[in-house]
Amino acid sequence: MRSRSGQLALAALALALGFLVVVQLRTQAGAGGLEDLSAGDLTTLIANLNTRNQQLAAEESGLRTRLGELRATGTQHERLVASIRDELSKVRRWAGLDPVQGRGVRITIQGPIRANGVNDLVNELRAAGAEAIAIEDVRLTEAEVVADLPDGLGVENRSLDPPFTIWAIGNPQVLTASLTRVGGIIGRIQVSQPEVSIAVAPQDLVELPATRRPMGPRSGQPRL
Amino acid sequence: MSAPRFDLRWRRPATWQVTLAVALLALGFLLAVQFQSQAPRARYSTQERPPLVETALDLSEQQDALKDRIVELRAQIQQLESDVSEDDVAEAALNDELVEARIAAGLVALAGPGVALQFDDAQGPLPPDASASEYRVQAEDLRDLLTALWLSGAEAIAINGERVTVTTAVTDIGGTVLVNSAYLAPPYVLTAIGGPELYDRLVASDVLRTLLEARVQPFGLELSAGPLDQVDVPAYSGSIRLIETRPAATPTPPAPGSTP
Repeated sequence: MRSRSGQLALAALALALGFLVVVQLRTQAGAGGLEDLSAGDLTTLIANLNTRNQQLAAEESGLRTRLGELRATGTQHERLVASIRDELSKVRRWAGLDPVQGRGVRITIQGPIRANGVNDLVNELRAAGAEAIAIEDVRLTEAEVVADLPDGLGVENRSLDPPFTIWAIGNPQVLTASLTRVGGIIGRIQVSQPEVSIAVAPQDLVELPATRRPMGPRSGQPRL
Repeated sequence: MSAPRFDLRWRRPATWQVTLAVALLALGFLLAVQFQSQAPRARYSTQERPPLVETALDLSEQQDALKDRIVELRAQIQQLESDVSEDDVAEAALNDELVEARIAAGLVALAGPGVALQFDDAQGPLPPDASASEYRVQAEDLRDLLTALWLSGAEAIAINGERVTVTTAVTDIGGTVLVNSAYLAPPYVLTAIGGPELYDRLVASDVLRTLLEARVQPFGLELSAGPLDQVDVPAYSGSIRLIETRPAATPTPPAPGSTP
């Protein structure tokens, strides 16, 4: 009798131990740093992931349609040429290789702003969905960043003397709201540099030139 | 504790009592560890956090699958385009142009000489009155590192496999960093392709020196870098969204110096 209850107790204990060991290991297995996030941060992250996954799903379905169309095109050369031309135009506009136009915002900066302030503004524009950006007449690709030079700011061998203007194409309301929200990028710059003033104005038409950077990598080999 | 522990033929009560005591001790230990490891996670809400973490992880997995399919579909499309256009000189030239534009846009993986860097949070216990976020690598630190690399002549850069493109933003979400559409966790591994002077120029750069003096040294962040003969920079696997952007009215690029 005693041995039977002992066996049961031990079996129950072994079960509980096994369960806890597993829970413990699962707890410590990397959740990619997520366990350190607050519920608020997690909610923001989930909202972000949701939006971006929807965009990715739309991209994926667009690519599937395009692949299907290409297969159906077969040897119909006119349609093939039109399809490649459309794609070429899209990639060149996106990558800054062609001049573009569209709705957007104009950001006017006055005062002694530092280079990382301008770069942070550009980052915020990208985060808010800006599709194309230029500082004055310099179209920005990922590689064009503003630098602190001994006598002021510079971007791609062009000096920037305030006041200067950043132009961005994208939804004017979304871009404006994202830059000017309470605690947003402009607020933060003006707290640390009160002598800088930044004005954002929605625009019906923004025209941006193409990048002047030489096209394509010099040292990198494409893996096609 | 050795063989007799689970040998249930052992009938002497004293022994199983000892065994039970040892097992209870282990149970108590595990419970204590379990609660302790849950304590800091329960800062905000014990009830809603684990499901939120699960949701975020699920979404992240979905995203990885979507990105894999996007890269795969783009490769198939590119292959098909070059196959069907190769018999016609004009079409082949057009297709070459498209391939060249895709390479410039970051839609093609690159390999070449360059620099590899690793950037990690401060390790070990923090000072008692420290703000934990200052001892973490933040989005701004990564942006400074990117700026230093571009100004030093980098041609292409990836962070934890996310290609930095013309629309890439690097932003904070709590203790993680969002790059393109992916949230990344430390250590951040950057690969940058560039000519033989890239590493020397990076090490001598003002932006890097400021980052070292203002962030890395005072807060014990861990940053290491080295030149490599061959680094890989993967293709961009995200979406290309052009909702507002149309071709310019004038088909030829404006002369340099013109105002937009």
